[in-house]
Amino acid sequence: MIFKIAWRNIWRNKRRSIIILTSIAIGLGFTMLYDCIVRGSVQQMLDNAINSHTSHLQINNAGFNSNKIITNNISHSDSIINKVASLPFIKYYSPRVLNFGMITSAANTSGITLVGIEPEKERNVTIIHKSLTKGTYFSTNPNEILIGEKLAEKLEVDLNDKLVLVSSATDGSVSSEMFRVVGIFKTNSSEFDKAYVYVPIKTAQKMLLLGDNISQIAAITDKPENINTYKSILQSKLDYHFEIFTYQELLPLLIYYVQIANDSMLVMYIIIGTAVLFGIINTLLMSVFERVHEFGVLMSIGMRNGKVFRMVIEEAFILSFVGTIIGFCLGLIGYYLLSIYGLDLSVFSESLSAFGMSTILYPKLDLGVIINSIFIIPITAILGAIYPALKAIKLQPTEAMRYV
Amino acid sequence: MEILKVENASKIYKDNGIAVEALKNIDLSIQKGEFLVIAGPSGSGKTTLLNLLGSLDVPSSGKIFLEGEELSKKTKKELSQMRLAKLGFVFQAYNLIPVLTAIENIEFPLMLRGVQERTRRQKALEIMRELGIAELAKKKPNQMSGGQQQRVAVARAIVNEPIIVLADEPTANLDSVAADNLLDLMERMNREKNITFVFSSHDLQVIQRGRRLISLKDGSIIDDKICE
Repeated sequence: MIFKIAWRNIWRNKRRSIIILTSIAIGLGFTMLYDCIVRGSVQQMLDNAINSHTSHLQINNAGFNSNKIITNNISHSDSIINKVASLPFIKYYSPRVLNFGMITSAANTSGITLVGIEPEKERNVTIIHKSLTKGTYFSTNPNEILIGEKLAEKLEVDLNDKLVLVSSATDGSVSSEMFRVVGIFKTNSSEFDKAYVYVPIKTAQKMLLLGDNISQIAAITDKPENINTYKSILQSKLDYHFEIFTYQELLPLLIYYVQIANDSMLVMYIIIGTAVLFGIINTLLMSVFERVHEFGVLMSIGMRNGKVFRMVIEEAFILSFVGTIIGFCLGLIGYYLLSIYGLDLSVFSESLSAFGMSTILYPKLDLGVIINSIFIIPITAILGAIYPALKAIKLQPTEAMRYV
Repeated sequence: MEILKVENASKIYKDNGIAVEALKNIDLSIQKGEFLVIAGPSGSGKTTLLNLLGSLDVPSSGKIFLEGEELSKKTKKELSQMRLAKLGFVFQAYNLIPVLTAIENIEFPLMLRGVQERTRRQKALEIMRELGIAELAKKKPNQMSGGQQQRVAVARAIVNEPIIVLADEPTANLDSVAADNLLDLMERMNREKNITFVFSSHDLQVIQRGRRLISLKDGSIIDDKICE
């Protein structure tokens, strides 16, 4: 019955209650949607980095990650590849040759990272094949090269143009090879597009005098959330000559950014919660002052302080809960629409791609969003109701009943 | 049987820093089943005395006993509990809870005592039938006349079967017919259920119905008589 009274009390002043409900609902709805967009955008940045090159796990010779020299390569690569491929959690893998070099066209020269790949295996690990804006993925020709759109612009080349790639081989000599552009890709990172070129692994091995050796195995796992466990298992299968890096270790800044984004969203919720807190204090104080006489009557007929306190708290809870539900539904509708159509920020495409962000952002609804949006407002509302509730229970029945 | 006793009670209020003696050395004993009217002009101390009897206020000096227990020795929580269990209140302005229907208002004290919903609904209905107000069950206070509201207030006051009902000028806002009906009802409850009623009033209509009349003037009892 206390709940019933609390519920009905809220609707005694419909306009006031609707105003506070609306402010909670709109505030929460937009904050939730913004949270989804922020989480979605940082997740997209992470996914872009993983899918364009990093993958979930990278297996190298010890020391390669800090000093990427071609002489530090994986010999007897077949047995290592077989060991990696035999693990049940490895969904896809791709052996790679990596080296720094220079690429030259008739018009210009640029420093690049040469990536030798097995085209069919790399297809499962990265999205380079899907990122082609011109041309095709590799055919059987060994001297084909894929370059980024930014690099093509710098070198002033297009499809079928020739490029000369110069890089140091394992014997210390300078090796060069001519390639023909068969595809131009554009990922979400303009920096990546300027720096990476892809060639068939056999050609890279031959050019760099690697034999069958490789620089790295990139792998995609079945459950990225178990990545640290997988790393331990993999480490136990391989000897100490190898080092294994998870995407979290390879992309520390992005992981840090995800954390900062989540923390900053919590701050946003707290700001909204604080606004609600003062809204609730104001609304309930007005409501308590309007009902001083009534509280006096309730106390006279034997309503104890605990129940009076509970009634005011329940009024705050109902207001915040109803506001939260409406706000959450608004947020969900916004999330649903944006997850279909995306948020098109192509007008900022230049600056977004410098950060590896997509131009169309898709929101991400995860447990963090749900917990933040469902709990923060009701909790702050209940905190806000404590002061008016204390005011109510401090009333003396006789004085309260004299109050008009 | 004595249920309420006041021993040398005085009440002093501070009004803008000036002490005002609202009650002076009151001695009073109320027996079970009495139908008592405290009469006196405005400012004579009727409401103050009723507030002391109902433990809504504490005397500045003196003692008040309810069924032998001294009220000043009780905590705020115990006093609330005692008011709920042993006292019923009827106010001049009815003071029903505006968001509740008549039957919910009557159920309210039962709810505070923790009576189960079904039982309290039955009991509230029973009392409403007894008082002839069953048809008002679903009406909210603003849908009822003053007389009807005061009947509901009486039902609320007696639903917990109190040992005493304190009514502060219950007819002040009613026309004479409604006031008469209300007094008839209270008299019947007093007769049939042996509920003790204590009224404060300066209304002749009420004063004439009292079987004991206490007259107050300037905070002192100037007369205490049994009426025939």
